[in-house]
Amino acid sequence: MSFMDLSPFIAMVYRQVKRWWSARSRVITTIINPLIWIIFLGLGWGAVFQPGSINSPSIPGVPVNVIAKTIEEYFNRLFGGIDYITFMVSGMAAMTVFMTSFLGGISVIWDKQFGYLKETLVAPAPRWLVITGRIVGDSIVNTIQSLIIILLGFAITTRINPIGVPVALVYLFITSIAFSSLGVIIALKLGSIEGFQMIVNLLTMPLMFMSGVFYPVNTMPDWMKIFAQYNPLSYAVHSVRYWLTGADVGLDYMNPLTDTTILTGAAIILLAIAGWAFNKATIEE
Amino acid sequence: MEAVIVENLVKRFKDVVAVNGVSFKIMRGEIFSLLGPNGAGKTTTIHIIATILKPTSGKVVVFGHDAVREADMVRKKIGIVFQDPSLDNQLTAYDNLYVHGRLYGLRGRELEEKIYELLEFVDLKEYANKQVRYFSGGMKRRLELARGLMSNPEMLILDEPTIGLDPQSRAKIWDYIRELRRRYNVTILMTTHYMDEAEELADRIAIMDHGRIIAMGTADDLKSMLGSDVIYVKFDKEVPEGICTTLPSLRSCKKIGVDTLEILVENATKSLPEVLSNIYVNGYKIIEVSYKRPTLNEVFLHLTGRELRDSLESNPIMQRRRRWR
Repeated sequence: MSFMDLSPFIAMVYRQVKRWWSARSRVITTIINPLIWIIFLGLGWGAVFQPGSINSPSIPGVPVNVIAKTIEEYFNRLFGGIDYITFMVSGMAAMTVFMTSFLGGISVIWDKQFGYLKETLVAPAPRWLVITGRIVGDSIVNTIQSLIIILLGFAITTRINPIGVPVALVYLFITSIAFSSLGVIIALKLGSIEGFQMIVNLLTMPLMFMSGVFYPVNTMPDWMKIFAQYNPLSYAVHSVRYWLTGADVGLDYMNPLTDTTILTGAAIILLAIAGWAFNKATIEE
Repeated sequence: MEAVIVENLVKRFKDVVAVNGVSFKIMRGEIFSLLGPNGAGKTTTIHIIATILKPTSGKVVVFGHDAVREADMVRKKIGIVFQDPSLDNQLTAYDNLYVHGRLYGLRGRELEEKIYELLEFVDLKEYANKQVRYFSGGMKRRLELARGLMSNPEMLILDEPTIGLDPQSRAKIWDYIRELRRRYNVTILMTTHYMDEAEELADRIAIMDHGRIIAMGTADDLKSMLGSDVIYVKFDKEVPEGICTTLPSLRSCKKIGVDTLEILVENATKSLPEVLSNIYVNGYKIIEVSYKRPTLNEVFLHLTGRELRDSLESNPIMQRRRRWR
């Protein structure tokens, strides 16, 4: 493919990144939400899992501090050898990408309402290339935003491995492609912001809770495990946590290879559907 | 040679027929205007020509390419300025043109030069790096005009190019349209519901209403349909039956509203006293009389039996009409 052919793709990447950059102060609003989760849920629960000075149940003949230590050890093992706050922060990087990607669909609806969609529909460029450019542009932005969360994580916990960060970013990028595509597909099908918001609320919360962001997948009830198994976000959370902290918490078969395969597969399939949906898009009157 | 050939075009939405058997041709280098009220089917027609809507039936050929089967070829040859603003408000003027140029396959120096050439053409060069959301309506329109020209189109489609603009901005846009035809030698297809706009700019005008073209020609052709003068007589109640047969020396006489009669005569100043006295003699009461040389407004009135619904207040022609009471 020649460079000329990629021009429409570059146009849309440029647009999405430039739009974000021109409103970069709004980054605050996208990181405030994960930050609240990290601070309150992370620090709040974190202390529960590290009883330390709090009175532990006493077992005759066993010193209290040994019991406290054992409880801490137990939870540490459940969280893959890291403390809860580290567990949360690493999962939160994946969740931020998930949320911002999904919500990116809203900008498609804005474009629909403000007429910009027509501008892209009337261009003589292949539609799939245009929408791929848009999704990739959004994904670059989303990955940068999750990097900010990771950097904040360094301030909260010492257990994040800097060397794993670039690898984690690659996984985050692929995750973003998948969920941005899903957001675009839903946005193209729905006309209104309200409708989109409803679907988002209906979908994001369960997907988030069944992905292992807040608690390990392998201690979930069996029925929930089944959902987690089919939730691409579970693999994103597992892989990102693995590369950031070394913790290998997930279903038995989860490993960097299955994570890569499933995330890439989901990204490609969803991107293809988004391309197809955009190809069929017309302006309704 | 024809730029556009439209044959028997029909577009049906769920329960509305928006375009109902429209045929016309646009010559290369021509400014062709579709004139009609909102809802007449103008925008639907040009959206089909611009390939973003598919016709229900009929044929559209743009520069030798079928608008359905060779949509991509058509898209390469046209630029379009939509009725509703379609700029990205969060980008700068430069970036809007940059993204557009890229979408059309331009790049590098060529793209850069084109952007500045066109920004200069529409007098927005000094605002190149300002975000579009700070632009006034007229500035946005000019930027859209520039954007439509980015890809060096052979035809520029303008959907209501001056809608919602103040008189100064309108006049300015008109200047640009005339100038861009001259400079870029581009064919222009425009829609408007302002009759003065069509008369001012267009080489040929097609008047559309209810999805059909009801008259087509130059502004002079259309006006000469009516003869020399038009007299309007407004009665205190319904137009009396058979009133026309009682009136002398007229070209045409027609009821165009519940209480309004349109009379075409060679010379209104001479015919008026006779017309009025004939009506009085028959015992009818007149509450208003006016006459004027026909403009497109009168042509439209004549053809459709009512005034252009959307330009009653803003149309300066209306105010020039002399009236008595």
